[in-house]
Amino acid sequence: MKGNASTRMLNRRQFLKLGGGLLGTAMASAFLPRSKALLSPIATQSEARALTSPDQGILAQVAAEPDFHFVATDGWIYLPPEAAVPPYHPDNYAPENLTTYIFGFRDVTGLTNDLVFAQKMKAQLTAPTWSLQVGGDYTLKLTNLGLAVRPDLIDAHTLHFHGFRNALPIFDGEPHSSVGVPIVRDLTYFYRPHDPGTYLYHCHFEETEHVHMGMVGTTFIKPAAWTTENKMAYDDAAISGYDREFVMTLNEVWTESHWADSHVQLPEWSDYAPEFWLLNGRVYPDTIAPNGSRNMTTGDLNPPPGRPELQYQPISSLVTCNSGDRVLLRCTNLGFEQQSMRLSGLKMRIIAKDATLLTGRNGEDLTQWSDTLTIGPGQSVDAIFIAPDVTEMTKLMFYNRKYSRLSNGGHTGYGGQMTEVHIYPAGTLPPQTEPNA
Amino acid sequence: MSLLRKLRSIRGRTVDRRRLLERGPVLLALLIAVLVTNGGGVRQATAGHEDWPSSGVICTTNDSATFTLVTQEGYITEPDGNTVYMWGFSENGQPFQHPSPVLCVNEGDLVTIVVKNTLAEDISLVFPGQENVLANGAPSQPQFDADGNLVSLAQMAPANGGSVTYSFVASKPGTYLYESGTEPIKQVNMGLFGAIIVRPALGPEYAYNDPSTKFNPGTEYLIILSEIDPMLHMAAEQGHSYNINDYVPRYWLMNGRSFPDTIAPNGAVWLPNQPYSSFIHIRPLDPVSNPDPALIRYVSVGTEDYPHHPHGNHERIIARDGSPLIGPGGEDLTYERFTVVIGPGQTLDATFYWEDVDQWDPNNNPIPVTIPQIQNLVFGTFYSGSPYLGNTDMLPVGTQALNSCGEYYHIAHNHALHQITAWGVVLSGHITFARIDPPLPNNCQ
Repeated sequence: MKGNASTRMLNRRQFLKLGGGLLGTAMASAFLPRSKALLSPIATQSEARALTSPDQGILAQVAAEPDFHFVATDGWIYLPPEAAVPPYHPDNYAPENLTTYIFGFRDVTGLTNDLVFAQKMKAQLTAPTWSLQVGGDYTLKLTNLGLAVRPDLIDAHTLHFHGFRNALPIFDGEPHSSVGVPIVRDLTYFYRPHDPGTYLYHCHFEETEHVHMGMVGTTFIKPAAWTTENKMAYDDAAISGYDREFVMTLNEVWTESHWADSHVQLPEWSDYAPEFWLLNGRVYPDTIAPNGSRNMTTGDLNPPPGRPELQYQPISSLVTCNSGDRVLLRCTNLGFEQQSMRLSGLKMRIIAKDATLLTGRNGEDLTQWSDTLTIGPGQSVDAIFIAPDVTEMTKLMFYNRKYSRLSNGGHTGYGGQMTEVHIYPAGTLPPQTEPNA
Repeated sequence: MSLLRKLRSIRGRTVDRRRLLERGPVLLALLIAVLVTNGGGVRQATAGHEDWPSSGVICTTNDSATFTLVTQEGYITEPDGNTVYMWGFSENGQPFQHPSPVLCVNEGDLVTIVVKNTLAEDISLVFPGQENVLANGAPSQPQFDADGNLVSLAQMAPANGGSVTYSFVASKPGTYLYESGTEPIKQVNMGLFGAIIVRPALGPEYAYNDPSTKFNPGTEYLIILSEIDPMLHMAAEQGHSYNINDYVPRYWLMNGRSFPDTIAPNGAVWLPNQPYSSFIHIRPLDPVSNPDPALIRYVSVGTEDYPHHPHGNHERIIARDGSPLIGPGGEDLTYERFTVVIGPGQTLDATFYWEDVDQWDPNNNPIPVTIPQIQNLVFGTFYSGSPYLGNTDMLPVGTQALNSCGEYYHIAHNHALHQITAWGVVLSGHITFARIDPPLPNNCQ
């Protein structure tokens, strides 16, 4: 059994309870060595919390501001409309520039209540990446904003931290075993992480629909020894040390089911037959477009430069690194199909699966060297490659070896679960500050 | 959400009347069949199982390790209201059951299985993982016709009353399956399969002959994963042809049941032909009072990999296909996963526990967030009203509460989420639950 290493966080919590407000938050942040891992635009900077006014009325459930505040709602995304799947894609109800109806999460940490509720029908795919660190205590407030396109659905939402060991049902997010969050209500989830690794999260309410509709993302727990200067995915730094990290969240879009939800229909799930295979919520070549960002005045997402249609798909899958960098790929699969991701021309060391380092109980090295990693639904795989020496920028591809998944809607040309790895000469890129940046 | 509430919510959204109409004739035919079958009001299929524990593996044993498996035809029920025509084996004289009996033997036993075939087509059995299997005293081997065409993977029991006797020495402990070797895509889907457990010489609290495979024998579980294309079953029932290229599974089952039936007790009287529960029932791991994990034996007779995700904690895979994951030099090759992938025809043995790591307590170590008041949440059927193990608290009036003593529940389900449905009804298929009782003494029921 592992000890309770949360003293400094309890201090911080008491501090907030006593002082609250801007000063307390700023000081607490300054005292804390741990990184908050709020990954703008993938999530926001923790300092933004200082702008928050306290919740009022029915939404006031916790004394301190949460470390993370997410909303659950619906929205629209862009998949290439020329890859038509009539009559389901593009959806004839979609707003201009967008094609596909989704449910999803958004990060609203630090926003005022008015701005929080203004994010209804502004869900993103995939959901924000967030992270915790062993030794800390964390809170995540989930607010259910309801579904703008489907006001007839009074669905609750939850956040299931998929893989969290020895979970309490109340914070597991499976609604039969605990509770769900009704519309305009919220629940603050509490996590005291003990086990580093790459995890999945998703809504577990009417999970077949809510997961497929897009309430899916990746979260990870950093080991206690992790610092910005000395990064490792697990306690064993020799195996899991890295310079740059990229989350690769896989899922699929079966256009009929998305169309059915916007058209007040129900799909027959055993007919499941997706036409789009996504990396971080986009299909190639959109996967290599830059990250979006968040406008801290309005709370809205800013689209990636020059790509207004990708406003609600803010997470880039472009891998950039310098020669010699150890590059960590945190892969998670929230689709319903097993996939087979290949890095062309380079072997990866597969170091962990399902947030568990590949070592035996006596220290046996069970890691694997391969250019291809298999990942089934609900699994996570961590792989590290060392960027080779290059004298000019060199590209590799990271793609699904199931070649039928490299098509957008069955049309010609490369698409689907594919992205690029751009390797620069040593010293070109500055140190990475956030995942997928 | 209870099944009742689930059905209500489905109705509240949109009942797919088109599909109901399409299925109407099937439902009617099956309803008549059920009425005829049950007409006498005498169904003794699984009556008399009051001595069975409500959860945990139900072994069929025999001092001489000799089993007579007679084919039966029958029906199982699905949570969407449908009824599916099946085939199966039952021990001599017993009514139809699905899946076929779990045969438990000891390492070194000479196992004899007499197959009696009352079906209108030839059948056989294969025993993956068993060596030197004999059929009627000769080596069990593939069967070819005079032109050299393969007709069966093993010697057959001919249609309409034929029999064949298989035998083998259960030389290696572990979890195995037996399944039809004749037109298996049809006959296995129709239900001609079951599990074999070979217990090691080391003792009943071990899965294999290695101390590292120790488990709590009071918490031993078997989960057989399968799938059904009801069109295949209708064709078999009505004597129609069926093109296997049209194969589309619509139901996914654990031990022959789809959720929520999976969590009903062993021998539930309302599931007379589907006797085996998949419910898991444990107490927190404790170094003194409960030091050993549960054992879950997975068997898949499906056609694709099933990614099974237990909530609450990882599972440690300790064996695959009857072989413990121990290297030739004693290396530990076991692994922990939060998603256990079980391939077609594969068996995996996993240990599972849940540990109260942070020892939350409402008085001395409270969870440091405030749970909203009851009117601001929706409550699950299994929730006690309290986040603390062993505690109960207020629930809204009218909540259908199944919690007994503040015990915890965690779901375990297939994460290919289209496979946790039942032909259009969501929240069914490959789902079961684990129940975690507070430490003893408790007042749990």
